[in-house]
Amino acid sequence: MYAVKVENLTKSFGEITAVNNVSLEVQSGQLFGLLGPNGSGKTTMIKTLTGQLKPNSGSATILDLDAEKNPIKIREIVGIIPEQETPPSFLTADEYLNFICKIRNLDDPENRCEKWWKLLDFEDQKNVLCKDLSRGTRQKLMVAQAFLHEPKLAFIDEPLINLDPLIQRSFKDFLIDYVKRGNTVFFSTHVLEIAEEICTEIAILDKGHLLHKGPISELKNTKQHLETFFIKLVKEG
Amino acid sequence: MFKEEWRIHTSSFENKAFASFPIIIFTLTAIASYFLPYVLRIMDISLVFKYVHYMFMFLGISVGAFGLFGKEIMNRRFGQASLIAYSSRSLPISERTIFSAFFLKDILYYLILWILPIIVGFIVMTPFIGIQIFSSLFACSTLILSFLIGLSLIFFLSTIFAHSSKILILIISILVVGYFAVPIFLNIQFNLIILPYSFYYTHSMSTLAIISLLIIIPAIISVVFVKIDYPEKKKHHKNLLPMLTKKFSFSRYSHYIAKDFIDLQRSEGGLGKIIFSFLLPIGFTYFFLTIFLELIPNIKIIMIFSIFLGIVSNSIYNMINAFDTFNPYMFLPVKVSTIIKSKITSFVIINSISIIILLIATLSMNQIDYFLPALLMLVSITAFSLATTVYFTGLNPNVLIYNSKIFIPYIGLLGCIIFIFTLSSILNPFYMLASPLILPVSVLLLKKSYKKWDSWKPYSI
Repeated sequence: MYAVKVENLTKSFGEITAVNNVSLEVQSGQLFGLLGPNGSGKTTMIKTLTGQLKPNSGSATILDLDAEKNPIKIREIVGIIPEQETPPSFLTADEYLNFICKIRNLDDPENRCEKWWKLLDFEDQKNVLCKDLSRGTRQKLMVAQAFLHEPKLAFIDEPLINLDPLIQRSFKDFLIDYVKRGNTVFFSTHVLEIAEEICTEIAILDKGHLLHKGPISELKNTKQHLETFFIKLVKEG
Repeated sequence: MFKEEWRIHTSSFENKAFASFPIIIFTLTAIASYFLPYVLRIMDISLVFKYVHYMFMFLGISVGAFGLFGKEIMNRRFGQASLIAYSSRSLPISERTIFSAFFLKDILYYLILWILPIIVGFIVMTPFIGIQIFSSLFACSTLILSFLIGLSLIFFLSTIFAHSSKILILIISILVVGYFAVPIFLNIQFNLIILPYSFYYTHSMSTLAIISLLIIIPAIISVVFVKIDYPEKKKHHKNLLPMLTKKFSFSRYSHYIAKDFIDLQRSEGGLGKIIFSFLLPIGFTYFFLTIFLELIPNIKIIMIFSIFLGIVSNSIYNMINAFDTFNPYMFLPVKVSTIIKSKITSFVIINSISIIILLIATLSMNQIDYFLPALLMLVSITAFSLATTVYFTGLNPNVLIYNSKIFIPYIGLLGCIIFIFTLSSILNPFYMLASPLILPVSVLLLKKSYKKWDSWKPYSI
């Protein structure tokens, strides 16, 4: 079963084509890495797949739902870590997660939040206003909000940036375990080492074009480093 | 800074639409000036000038107060955006330099955006309304002085507030007491303490010198003693969301309303915002209308007050939309219309204060017989002006209103209804018992707004 199926997707902003006729599938249970240089269209891709942006042409099916027709339903069942951490300024971290529980109509918010305070080690910051939190802590908050409802599919856009190495390790372990339990992660990043370490499958996007898609094991079998492969591919265009 | 301010305002629409805003202000002023001779039939010109001077001073106060009233001046005024004004932390620029530049930018920006278009609009009409061009030009210069006094005063008060709210209260008390005490104890005519207005009549250089000092000294003090709080110490707050959500559980949007109230409470200067954007204009209107009451005893002023109250109460909707954009909800299963509906509910809760204000005004104007039609008109005009604001500006009333393509139909639609209501209420206040007939139109407009804004998509990559 495909968790994500994209067919000839194009998204333009005026004269700029951010995503250009991209087709790809992601099977359930994968930790799929969408790689690409800055400005390659990764964030636009995630926004279009989750119904935050309307495509100019093509289609995307997310867990059997058409992304263009069911944007709210999709955002109900998936978790999203946006590229920029934007929790409301005047809520505390605790209030923000409670607020998300209310929006998602989740029971037992305390226990749900508790797990994330511990996993990401920021319980001491729970009563601090979001505007006063460090970028790293705000990022932790965005990670927590995306997984509070234990979604079957998560779209995570550069989630490890601003996190310290210890928390990065905890979160990477969480992601590996999470997909082992049959869930899917659509992970957008330009940090190749992390993608190489945890992804089961990758796709490389540059200037809106899909340059490559395949299991990471293919590279490992040919003893190629992802970095070398990526640089060669992008430079060749 | 000038460029940044321009870009903030043009971030949601094209440059031309924003650039034509002063032209609209100019046109509206020219039209209003054309009707000035009719006003002068019932009011003495000196009285008109006096209140226009008050209005300009108030404009200076409200422009300067926009977002400035708080201890975290930079944070509040500039938000979390990385504007140049926030650069004193990372660039070799002192906070004083930046604050001074910000002050000058505000003067220039709002002179171009508001003051000059008003002045030019008035001046071009002077040949048609029988006022001498020289006296018009002179009046305009004294009006600018009024604006600058207001602006300088509010910068001064915000700096004081950044140091101590107690000192601020003390200074405001002294100013208020002084305002009323000076004419009595120094045996000065009450009118003459509005110095630019006084200067208009006396042409006295000593008055001009005092006015200059009144502009320069508070400005210098506010720059020299500017204090910007960079929140190094993280305050811990109790989780208020469950308690407030329970409090508003009558609404399906209880958690969003709870968030609005938390925003209001925690964004410093919450009370200041309500005072400056709502209570002060209302107080000002009341003050004006009581003067009218003496001049035209036949008009039921409470009805006019009710219309003003309904329109000004819209600022509450602007205020509760000032804390965030839709961005924090983009990746959540939330429709734009859901947030709009929740903001409307918060608006209705906060705006219940209008009914109390209307009741007090009715009693103090001794027009209690007209309370019911005034109340119905208040509800009707509030609902209609809110629906119009929501339809045209959605969750961005503070920005989109400066788009001339939005401002013209907005003001046109609202203006028509205001005109009809005003005229009808002057003819017979009890006609306003039928004013709720506009409520279905408002509901329809709101329903259209939900559809319109749900299909809205941002332009950013």
